[in-house]
Amino acid sequence: MIRSLLALSIIALLAAILALAIGSVTISPAELWAVIQGEGSALHRTLLWELRLPRTLAAFATGGLLAVAGALMQVLLRNPLADPYVLGLSGGAAVGALLAMLTGMGALLISGSAFAGAMLAMVLVFGLAHGTGSWTASRLLLTGVVVAAGWGAVITLMLALTPSYKLPGMLYWLMGDVSYARTPWPALLVLALAIAVVMPLARNLNVLARGSMQAAALGVSVRPLEWTIYLLASLLTATAVTTAGSIGFVGLIVPHMLRLVLGNDQRIILPASALAGGTLLVLADTLARTVIAPEQLPVGVITALLGVPTFLYLLHRSR
Amino acid sequence: MRYRWLSLKIALGLLIGPLAHPLMASETQRCAVDDAGQKLCLTAPAQRIATLSPGATELTFAAGAGDKVVAGVNHSDYPPAARKLPLVGNHTRIDLEALLALKPDLVVTWVTGNPPAQMELLQALGLPMFAIEPRSFEAVSSAIERLSVLTGTEPQGFAEAERFRTGIAAISAQYRHAEPVAVFYQVWETPLMTINNQHLIGKVLQLCGGVNVFAEMPRLVPRISPEVVLQADPEVILTGSVEGAIDDQLDHWKSYPKMAAVAKNNLFYIPASPISRPTPRLLEASRDICQKLDIARAR
Amino acid sequence: MSTLHTRDLIINVPSRADGFPLNMSIESGQVWGVLGPNGAGKTTLLHTLAGLLPARSGQVTLHDTPLAQLKRRDIAQQLGLVFQERQDSFPATVLETALIGRHPWLSAWESEQAADLQRAQQALAALDVEHLSERLLSTLSGGERQRVAIATLMTQNPDIWLLDEPTNHLDLHHQVKVMRLLREQAALSKTVFMCLHDLNLAARWCSHVLLLYSNGDACWGPAPTMLKPSALEQLYKQKLMTVEVDGAPVFVPVCSN
Repeated sequence: MIRSLLALSIIALLAAILALAIGSVTISPAELWAVIQGEGSALHRTLLWELRLPRTLAAFATGGLLAVAGALMQVLLRNPLADPYVLGLSGGAAVGALLAMLTGMGALLISGSAFAGAMLAMVLVFGLAHGTGSWTASRLLLTGVVVAAGWGAVITLMLALTPSYKLPGMLYWLMGDVSYARTPWPALLVLALAIAVVMPLARNLNVLARGSMQAAALGVSVRPLEWTIYLLASLLTATAVTTAGSIGFVGLIVPHMLRLVLGNDQRIILPASALAGGTLLVLADTLARTVIAPEQLPVGVITALLGVPTFLYLLHRSR
Repeated sequence: MRYRWLSLKIALGLLIGPLAHPLMASETQRCAVDDAGQKLCLTAPAQRIATLSPGATELTFAAGAGDKVVAGVNHSDYPPAARKLPLVGNHTRIDLEALLALKPDLVVTWVTGNPPAQMELLQALGLPMFAIEPRSFEAVSSAIERLSVLTGTEPQGFAEAERFRTGIAAISAQYRHAEPVAVFYQVWETPLMTINNQHLIGKVLQLCGGVNVFAEMPRLVPRISPEVVLQADPEVILTGSVEGAIDDQLDHWKSYPKMAAVAKNNLFYIPASPISRPTPRLLEASRDICQKLDIARAR
Repeated sequence: MSTLHTRDLIINVPSRADGFPLNMSIESGQVWGVLGPNGAGKTTLLHTLAGLLPARSGQVTLHDTPLAQLKRRDIAQQLGLVFQERQDSFPATVLETALIGRHPWLSAWESEQAADLQRAQQALAALDVEHLSERLLSTLSGGERQRVAIATLMTQNPDIWLLDEPTNHLDLHHQVKVMRLLREQAALSKTVFMCLHDLNLAARWCSHVLLLYSNGDACWGPAPTMLKPSALEQLYKQKLMTVEVDGAPVFVPVCSN
């Protein structure tokens, strides 16, 4: 278990170093080392400390948040097709962000609005699913899917009514872009806290994954655990979407890939998801900003292009 | 004795006074207020300018600073010299690394076109930013003049601004008493989009004595249905023609032969680029449109 | 050794009037069989005894403490349940599934130890599924999955074993094997309480029987006194013929054309 986590950590570190080294301006390892030591040209120092390092950290944090949220959602809903957005969180965040853009607010207010939208979505789905008394996984899923569709309709309406010059900005937000992140520290903090909170619960999650009745029979307090997971997954997703818009695929594919290789023990899957999700997004973001530079691609496209073949390969090999 | 002291003080005051005047300060400080209301002061004329939208590129060249521009974005295609510029991405998503590597000392941005998050980051890094986006003819001239102050090319800039001003005034005088012509300007075919008179294109139509049938629409670029156009029944339908593409955007109106514009064959194409950007090329575009309206008046 | 008591327990079968209050003393060493037609509430009773469903009235006490006052973890250390319906769940191997049974005994930070692993393997061997340890649960037959479920309960090793139709899907050989295992556990001072749809199994293997009627009536007691043909015929609304084999009664339904 430790071995696989160690391997993932090393890969994550290598990916980060790669991200710091390459870009529209190539910084050689020697120059990189000089900058770390405090010397190096002003341009290289600005590029590394002001642009690449915050961006790489934000990409890692966002990828980790999404992957862990995806793993938690899949356990909560006992459904391998669940991803962090299935319950409408990204829809709510998008409506919040687009409203802020529509009324011409600055980047900080757009982020705040997105977070508020995600929290509203979380409370809405929770209340609707809970309202009639039986809070089963399938009821939650159904409520979430319907509410997500509702948000989608609102987003489409907003896109239809917005003045044309605001459209590109909105579309880019919807596609997800790590360069929006002004500071990576909130996201990193939330990720670290989430892992700290969820690790003691990981074995309970293994049992919960066998079915909620079975889990109750084995001594798990199912309802409080499910609420905690729902709250945690929502917080992680909201933070990720607030940091970098709605980036797809990471939350769905990373936990799956890890399960194919590492098995089903949540005690391994959860920290591994954080590491692997972060790594995937760091690599994807590096490609997104360099592959057709100076054109910048949306990172969500790259995560799909990287993630899908990798996943299919692993699936094929696991037969 | 007292009077001599006084006259000495007055003489000194008259000498030092002008030296402390802002005019003197303009030798060391070049200041201008941009279209977002921010004041920018440079201690020396900008030598390495980055222009982050096609319109910004054009206006900077018009200000006479074309040889100082070191970076443009996609579609910076006018003047032709701008096509050779190193590109730093699209105006909606800038490659910040490439931009920084070119070490600009002035970044000309578009108020509504560039992503706020990236612009805030550039501001935080200490780059001098100047945001423009002219919304009227006078604003075009003013933008050129203000840019030329920052770039130290006042003679060319002010001359170009004045040329534009006089040109527009001449057209205005020429067409002040012209017969009004009802016009529909089609911005896009599907979805069908037009402009109101807040938009510069609307102002051009007004200049030439045209009456924009959608002048009073609440939105700047409204999306409409063919029915309201049929109801308005304009005499002229205008649209922009893209270089290299076939002009067929107005063909769909031919299925309504009873429309005044279709019956009189007043479906006109004008070059899209000059009319779409708030730059000195609006002069040529205005002359073009006025000419088309004259043709319509003759029919 | 824990004992399970019910005090005026009335289980909650939706849209059915209150049944007969149950006052049972389920003690160690006993093997209980619950018999009744479909819909009588056998599964509901089992889940109520496990604390998974609230009773309509009355209470269940475990070692003289009402279930409602005990923590779920404490209950799970004394009481285990094999469900009738399999729930949708994530893929897992047979060994992983059996190991889940140790959950009530491990604290939040503990990992499964060698002793836990050994217990799981022994349980799998007792149920004849050890050779399937690394197979995914979803690839097994119904009978094999049933045996894994029972092995999980054995790994959990509580004092009280609740089983809902444990012989479902099992072939004859394994039916006998499982019933024999349950009786052995009772002999080791465990308490076995199970729902059975086959009254002959109850006749053969149970020490005590509870009859649950579809209208909520109930009676319980030692097996020989409960397994009277007249009562059983009324229970199942089916004419029966009694035969004796090996000293135990066998009930055969009569098809009257």
